[in-house]
Amino acid sequence: MTSDRPVVTPAVARKVAELARLRLPEEDLVLWSAQLSRIVAYIDQLAAIPEESFGAAPAGPATPVRADDPRPGLGEQALEANAPRQLHGYGVVPRVVGSGS
Amino acid sequence: MPNPAGATPGVVETAAAVSARRQTAVAVVEDSLARIAAGDHRVRAFLEVTGDLALEEARAVDARVAAGESLPLAGVPLALKDNIWVAGRRTTCASKILQGFRPPGDSTVAARLRRAGAVFIGRANMDEFAMGSSTENSSSHVTRNPWDLERVPGGSSGGSAAAVGARFVPGGFGSDTGGSIRQPAACCGVVGFKPTYGRVSRYGLVAFASSLDQIGPLTRSVADAARLYRAVAGFDPLDSTTEDRGIGDPEGALARGVAGLRVGFLEEAETESLDPEVAESLEAARRIFREAGADVLSVSVPRATAAIAIYYVVASAEASSNLARFDGVRYGPRATDADLNALYVESRTAGFGPEVKRRILLGTFALASGYYEAYYGRAMRVRQLLSADFDRAFAAADVIVCPSIPGPAFRVGEKMDDPLTMYLSDVFTVPASLAGLPAISVPSGLTRGGLPLGIQVLGPRFGEEAMFAAARVLEAGAGFPDALSPVAG
Repeated sequence: MTSDRPVVTPAVARKVAELARLRLPEEDLVLWSAQLSRIVAYIDQLAAIPEESFGAAPAGPATPVRADDPRPGLGEQALEANAPRQLHGYGVVPRVVGSGS
Repeated sequence: MPNPAGATPGVVETAAAVSARRQTAVAVVEDSLARIAAGDHRVRAFLEVTGDLALEEARAVDARVAAGESLPLAGVPLALKDNIWVAGRRTTCASKILQGFRPPGDSTVAARLRRAGAVFIGRANMDEFAMGSSTENSSSHVTRNPWDLERVPGGSSGGSAAAVGARFVPGGFGSDTGGSIRQPAACCGVVGFKPTYGRVSRYGLVAFASSLDQIGPLTRSVADAARLYRAVAGFDPLDSTTEDRGIGDPEGALARGVAGLRVGFLEEAETESLDPEVAESLEAARRIFREAGADVLSVSVPRATAAIAIYYVVASAEASSNLARFDGVRYGPRATDADLNALYVESRTAGFGPEVKRRILLGTFALASGYYEAYYGRAMRVRQLLSADFDRAFAAADVIVCPSIPGPAFRVGEKMDDPLTMYLSDVFTVPASLAGLPAISVPSGLTRGGLPLGIQVLGPRFGEEAMFAAARVLEAGAGFPDALSPVAG
């Protein structure tokens, strides 16, 4: 990993921002990529841990899961408290399917 | 105006006074509100003080006490971090993207505190979405350290820590993902406790990094921390990570002492670069434990030195996933309705501050195709090694001791342009988080410059009792609770 370490170039920063649904102004890309590169370079110390170390590591405890049973919801009032607009007892949100995005 | 801690009762003392009807909950809350009114314009610990609601709750507590109910937190006013749901209040995580959000009810922690007789005095400031070590990342304002207003209170639960440190309230709650309770507690000269992962329900805690987040108390004494912890700990069907097992007797453990207890000092913390005053406080702790009859030894957790690197991959990856829900559709201000992608992008770009964006970008990078195995996969594997290191260390020691912070609270603005240096503030707190261990920071004394330092006691998973016993001995030996907070009162 160390030899071909990816540097967070401005192009990578732009791409990652796109994936994260964030917009980084073009004029700030160099600063963002420099900061992220410095953090990633620090994180790269993990690559120096010899591969043979991992063999003995036991698996951690699995996250417990609850039974997948139906439960009562929080009720309409909970929705109403935060819905910016309502119609016929439903919260109105922008169209999120089939809008061509 | 300097104000000795003795003049401002703690959690246990307040509950006793209200329970015995020597004082009403209303009077306690009025006193707390008066302290806030006198001092919070300088400290700025709160995002919102909900005085009327608190007085209403206090009246209800007085009625319950009069009716003969036994309440372990009768009339105790608390400052809750603004990422913990409390019914009837807003929850914003100090973020613009959650402006106006009203939680659908109490978090499990708030519900249990309410049942125990506590009163919620206000929403405590924090780093936005709990990301930060200074409370400078709040979208509202910077909270100041009550010991020196030019310095940060630590973070991310800086508002809760400052409110307790300034004696505005006897206790508070924060959330700790990589040290966000313990680090500000140490900076503000108070006790901060992160329970074992799985001890306290996160239902109603806005998620940051779900494999790490824990809620815990901030108080002026170890006994007060044990009392608050006792009230909120235990299984909750609404959070499947809570474990269905007894929580023992944390308050009973306080008097147990450390005779014969194996107290292991973390070797990896004692490097040549350690701040000399932090090293002195460790030496003093060693002496305190030895004189109290403990078996003092050294233990090694070799991968503790990799903890910050692991943490910033794992926590950021989880944050990038958890914070994907804030998209302008369901919560907070909506930037545009133009088209769906623009709605997402513009709402998130306007709603999140720089540090939150940085973590989301880092996490998205670590999870992206081509980088996933090298970063997230590797960090998770090293995290397992770190946990195994702790298992071995706890075979040799009953509790582990290390500093809470690498030096006293830094100046406001000092680290804002250098994220990596800011991240390293948590070097001593992150290891316990990654391994899911209980850890408590106890004030260990003041630097020659008059700023608090803290020492941590770590227990094995679900080993809170030994941790509390050792923390109480450390607290008694250090004698910190009698120290003065310069802006208190």
